Amino acid sequence: MSVGKKDITCPTSALGTPLKDEDIKKGRVTYVEDHPDIRYSWTAGQAISRFLNELKRGRIIGVKCNECGRIMVPPRLYCELCYKPINEWVYLKDTGTVQTFSISYIDPDARPLPEPIIVAVIAIDGASPNMGIMHILGEVKPEDVYIGMKVKAVWKPENEREGAITDIKYWKPIEG
Amino acid sequence: MIEKIVDPKELRHWDGRIELYWVYTSGAAGDAFFKKLKEEGKFIAAKCKKCGKVYFPPRIYCEFDFSETEFVEISGEGKVIAFTVAKLDVYENPMDPEIYAVIELDGTDGRIIHLLGEVKPEDIYIGMRVKPVLKKKEEREGRISDILYYKPV
Repeated sequence: MSVGKKDITCPTSALGTPLKDEDIKKGRVTYVEDHPDIRYSWTAGQAISRFLNELKRGRIIGVKCNECGRIMVPPRLYCELCYKPINEWVYLKDTGTVQTFSISYIDPDARPLPEPIIVAVIAIDGASPNMGIMHILGEVKPEDVYIGMKVKAVWKPENEREGAITDIKYWKPIEG
Repeated sequence: MIEKIVDPKELRHWDGRIELYWVYTSGAAGDAFFKKLKEEGKFIAAKCKKCGKVYFPPRIYCEFDFSETEFVEISGEGKVIAFTVAKLDVYENPMDPEIYAVIELDGTDGRIIHLLGEVKPEDIYIGMRVKPVLKKKEEREGRISDILYYKPV
């Protein structure tokens, strides 16, 4: 194979050097390793703090902008369409509609899951159209999920809630 | 405007941890270099069989004509071509100054970045001759830290 200048040749393939775990464990090859301790702390801010605290009480809260009339969830302090501070807190229902969904067979570390999980964007009842949160669906087979399906939140028992999005275990179809 | 949270205990934050673990092997040429350093306390470079360019750190192929290289022994000595004095550690806390230098190694077309020792920052100059100070053989692990620092010849 010629590359650029005529007198230059390179092998058509280069063989690697296969290594086994034990080559490293027994120190047959030189290497460096590291296990950096990477931590972060994310502050939730005013609106999401209230949202999380309300989840602990088993309620979903949104906000309303009186300028455009939209009811938004997750809550925020400013309306991004009107560039104005929002006007009031609004409690929403714990039911909604599947807007879109995806079936995931792997966990965040890309390891296979024993059972696939169904991730969905759920428009919350009581909020403006297309306002919703991302969560998982349960008590339903992946093949039975459809866009527009009505769902209801399944909450953890009150004493197990910690003010996290996982206080809702999953969303299940509303029968009928 | 809406009412805001004033009790700091009601304001929330989320702590998280990112798992990261990696092993970086030296490769064929790097492995030969570190083993020679560990076992014999000697330096090697890689010479292109075709054009004669001498690579440091050693490589198994010449990057200019894709020809194979052969390992050649070098002294490990060289001269400082750039240096800087670090006065803060990685967390930006003051520390005893450390001097980092780029050292052009004799008999090679390559360079090494390492610490300078047994010298004051104000006495260093570009072109200063330096030689490596190694750890004792039994303490060497086949890593770049087997070289403690470079000191003036």
